[in-house]
Amino acid sequence: MMIRTYDFDWNVVTSNFPRLLDGLGMTITLTVIVVALSMILAVPVALARMSNVEVVRWVAQGYIELFRCTPLLVQLFWVYYALPTLTGITIPGLLSAAIALTLNLTAFMSEALRSGFQSVPVEQVEAGKMLRLTRWQQIRYIIIPQAVRQQLPVILSLNIALFKDTALVSTIAVADLMFTANKIASESYRALEILTTAALLYFVIAFPVSLILSRVERNMMNGDLRGGKKKRSLAASMIPGAKVQVTR
Amino acid sequence: MSEMNDVQAGSHRPITASIGEVLVSARGLQKSFGDRQVMKNVDFDMVAGDITVIIGKSGSGKSTLLRALAGLTDPDEGRIMFDGAMVFEDQMRTPAWEQVQSHVGMIFQSYTLWPHMDVLANLTLAPRKKLGLSTAEGLERAERALEEVGMSSHLRSKPSQLSGGERQRVAIARALMMQPKLLLCDEITSALDPPVAAEVLEVLRRLKQDEGIAIALVTHDMAFASKAADRVVFFSDGEVAINDTPEKAFNHSDNAEFKKFVDAVRF
Repeated sequence: MMIRTYDFDWNVVTSNFPRLLDGLGMTITLTVIVVALSMILAVPVALARMSNVEVVRWVAQGYIELFRCTPLLVQLFWVYYALPTLTGITIPGLLSAAIALTLNLTAFMSEALRSGFQSVPVEQVEAGKMLRLTRWQQIRYIIIPQAVRQQLPVILSLNIALFKDTALVSTIAVADLMFTANKIASESYRALEILTTAALLYFVIAFPVSLILSRVERNMMNGDLRGGKKKRSLAASMIPGAKVQVTR
Repeated sequence: MSEMNDVQAGSHRPITASIGEVLVSARGLQKSFGDRQVMKNVDFDMVAGDITVIIGKSGSGKSTLLRALAGLTDPDEGRIMFDGAMVFEDQMRTPAWEQVQSHVGMIFQSYTLWPHMDVLANLTLAPRKKLGLSTAEGLERAERALEEVGMSSHLRSKPSQLSGGERQRVAIARALMMQPKLLLCDEITSALDPPVAAEVLEVLRRLKQDEGIAIALVTHDMAFASKAADRVVFFSDGEVAINDTPEKAFNHSDNAEFKKFVDAVRF
């Protein structure tokens, strides 16, 4: 196979870098808003999913399955194009993006939280009950911190995935990094330089988070997250080349 | 203020039973899980300031009784009185339960310290939220409670940095923070080595002596039962087979199942 010679022109990148940074700013803003909203909304959805009231449980499960089992792009288009047809209200692109992404991430996040909630031993909650904490205080101070900690790797993975998935909002004219890069590439006919730079910008943000995720996972595998005796799991010690750690 | 208003305000009713008087009285308790009846017409009394050791085989109904007294499980039938007030009857908790439940503490086998909080936070969360204690008051009470269980130097430790016995002593201190009059201990030493278990049981004995707290303890430690208990209750197949002083239970009982159980646990 022959590789074509190509004359790179990085001037197009330097001259358009502020525009790309503006796009990146929009991507990060959208990610932060969606993650924050999803973290809040996922708690009641996860609780509803575990409710003793069947109707509440079914509604929560129906919502979760609907958003887990349909493509994010379809959800995005549905909110942006289809919903206004139904309601008669035009929703701006950025708001549509925020709604669709939040609904999508909340569905995944609530399942992660539910799994975390169910991993908290029942005696931990009963201890709170015996100390007369209210149901909400038990959830707020005992269950949520332990569930989030337990599910931190999953939650961070979901957030990294969302950050990358925001590129889809470029299809509904939200001026995020992908939209801006695509626009500059069309104007300058320098897709290679611009899209490579856009990819690098996504990487520069996502990679440190991924490193943090790996560290969190390693710490959790090795024992307690905040000090204490280090314990290696059997699986960890069986990885070829793993260092043997002597434990007390 | 009327009794109803007290209940609505979730008020805290002082205990009137003096040392030696009946604090808890349960009559005709029954509880089934599916087809299996784990409590069959159980009658049970506890005297203020006494240690009652509850023994019996696994599944004989001991833990269910403690959970019923703690309010974690509702019996199918029967009545429970606490300090003269009816707290459970007609298959439901009465408003009086709200007024006295803060006098009941429970400690579990699996330590149940909250792992994401240090010892101080474990101890002060409930008093700050429920009793309205300030940070300084919480700290002062926590220091006192930890001193009582011999854990003064571990105020800032994480549960993961403590041994099993230390965790259990902190769990006792956490229960003491709410100043209970009745402490229910469900197999709290069964996961501990005998010397460590003895230390924890010694803490309970001191609490009874110094604070006058009534303690119901499910344990297999017969030495503790014979030396420190005021009463020994033996559960067999969901029924109270023996309810007597340790001296009478261990030396004069002719219950064959009890003798067999004690021999099996001792050796």
